[in-house]
Amino acid sequence: MAGILSSALNASANPRKRSEVTQTTFDCLNKKTALILFAVAEAVLGEGFLIKAPRFIETVDDYLNYQRPAQREQFLFALLIAEVTFGLTIGGTFQHFSHLSIADRRKILEKLRSSSQSLRRNIYAAFVNVAASTYYASDLTWPDLGYAGVSVDHPEILNQPPPVPWRLDDPRPIEE
Amino acid sequence: MAGTIVEGRNVPENRSLTPDFCIIGSGAAGGVCALKLAEAGFDVLVLEEGPNIPKEKGPAPGQERKMLNEREAEMYKLLYQEGATRLSKNGGIKILQGRCLGGGTAVNWSACLPPRLETLDEWQKRGLPFTRQNLDPYLREVVNYLPVVRNDKYNTSARKFMLGCRRHDIPHENLPNNTNDCRECGSCGVGCPYDRKMSGFVKWLPDAVALGASIYTDTKVDRLVSSGDQIREVQAHFIDHKTRPTKRKLTVKPKKGVVLAAGAVGTPGILLRSGLDLDKRVGKFTHIHPVTITIGRYPEKTLPAYGVPDNMWTPKFASGPTGYLIETGSFFPILSASATLQHGDELHRIMRDYYPSGAISYAHHTTGFDEEEKYGTVELDDNGDPQLDYKIPKANVNPMRESLVMMARIHLAAGANSVYIMRNPPLEVKSDAMFDEIRQIDFTRPQSASIFTVHVMGGCQMNKNDKRRCVNTDFRFRDKKNLWVTDASIFPTALGANPQVTIYSLALWAAREICEQHQRPFKFHHQQGGELPWPGY
Repeated sequence: MAGILSSALNASANPRKRSEVTQTTFDCLNKKTALILFAVAEAVLGEGFLIKAPRFIETVDDYLNYQRPAQREQFLFALLIAEVTFGLTIGGTFQHFSHLSIADRRKILEKLRSSSQSLRRNIYAAFVNVAASTYYASDLTWPDLGYAGVSVDHPEILNQPPPVPWRLDDPRPIEE
Repeated sequence: MAGTIVEGRNVPENRSLTPDFCIIGSGAAGGVCALKLAEAGFDVLVLEEGPNIPKEKGPAPGQERKMLNEREAEMYKLLYQEGATRLSKNGGIKILQGRCLGGGTAVNWSACLPPRLETLDEWQKRGLPFTRQNLDPYLREVVNYLPVVRNDKYNTSARKFMLGCRRHDIPHENLPNNTNDCRECGSCGVGCPYDRKMSGFVKWLPDAVALGASIYTDTKVDRLVSSGDQIREVQAHFIDHKTRPTKRKLTVKPKKGVVLAAGAVGTPGILLRSGLDLDKRVGKFTHIHPVTITIGRYPEKTLPAYGVPDNMWTPKFASGPTGYLIETGSFFPILSASATLQHGDELHRIMRDYYPSGAISYAHHTTGFDEEEKYGTVELDDNGDPQLDYKIPKANVNPMRESLVMMARIHLAAGANSVYIMRNPPLEVKSDAMFDEIRQIDFTRPQSASIFTVHVMGGCQMNKNDKRRCVNTDFRFRDKKNLWVTDASIFPTALGANPQVTIYSLALWAAREICEQHQRPFKFHHQQGGELPWPGY
């Protein structure tokens, strides 16, 4: 049943084409869900997010492989639901999620976040968790965080002065 | 003769094997049973759903395991169940569980605590035979074999925590670790690349293989086939590097029996798929330690990723049926970003404000002591995969609020400018006056806050109560004479402590039961004296 519904949603979804989404082969996404994912991520992360996370779509597609199939289907279903059923009426015309401006997409995210329905809050959490974690997986974002990376890439990390040793019976204050 | 590790993804054909024992799962319980049964002279086969962790010389100085490179994006998908995206059925709880050679021991933060005394007391009321006295030789074996040590090099999160605790006169202690000459890279949670964490793939499993045990990785068990009181066959299939099923199957016909050690989601899942849940008990009363998290923002840079992650805690709030343990840790960009529950400019501001200057403390909450409460249930989804249906018990809501208040209080006392609470919407606490906002969080409502767990227990419990018992006190599953359950799924309640030492110890006990039943020797080798590293706890 879920598969039929998903197929129907996929058929009726007509996400906005984006030149930034160049990937054509996918493990779990398809062209439509990739475009919706892009629209979601742009709402969560902001315009131009691919500059610092150029492998964003590819990374999400890869990670979906590792999910339990039922959970993966739920995420793909949530993307299609977002596109087909979430939108705003602007100038008398209903505009679907990916066709809205970033500001309007964020209004929808805010509604999802504060919804009384747990399903909608779950969709919000899934979208922001996936987008934020995939974005900050990219090492191009790490300078913004002051994160130097890992010790196998940067062995000098292990040579930084260690924290001042302090023992439980040490009379010295730790830091004052 | 030494055994082998076979990577199932590379096996080109169907296979059939006939070991004495088939152990399902290579985590804390599976590793122990593999070693002790191999040591007793049995032909042992271990099946692990996750990948092997090959030992090769890698590109970085001192790196011994090429596969383990500390990079979150590459490691989570390899080492964790569902690529570290496992969720409870209602989506409200993130469940982090290992899925690789060594299981949870490969990815835990090395914390080593014994079972709480009051938890063991509760278990005795429910008919379990364990006391701290009769567990002593098992705990001692674990402590000396690994070894469990006191590492007193503290990272910034721990030092801030100690400072805040001192200012509030809160007792705090070193939390022992199973590490040996730790390099302080901070990456326990994505697998130690330096083999300084004494995880299953460093200790129990290589020693078992040296004694002849064989391990098949990338091997997912479909079902156990039984007739009468015997398990006759284990049916499994190999999966590829992206966890997709291959068409190649493994059939195991064990001569002596099957040991289930697939964890408190995996073990009930296998039993349910096998149709062995005749009385609808399997999967019921599953427990977690719900985890609440705080990030303090300090005036200086804190390098929160590095240093020993988990070697400081306070036992002050740990007692009681809903007590909590506050511990400290390390944190990384992906895990941090996945818990912010924020979007837009505010998401980036929070990451930029809190990551470089952050210090983390978190609390594991005890559950499971109310016999009237149903707690969680492991069930199968439409594809036959196990999922945990869990709602935060009402009795834990106030303790979860109070743990956040206490951790915020400690951060502020240590000099934090603000404390990030992963509420929806996010809350930044800057003074005691804001604690009432924490006390309004409704944890029973999914997505009202980011809630994690890294400990799942129960679902196949040992219990004297006939209506609840899945496992007998000799670790055998109900009326099956050659099926043992040895992992945390046998716990009748949550433990109230980081569980790896308890799982190791109970698995040793289970291995002794199995050996005795087959008139084979079971020996302790590491009983040297000295005080165990948990005086007073």
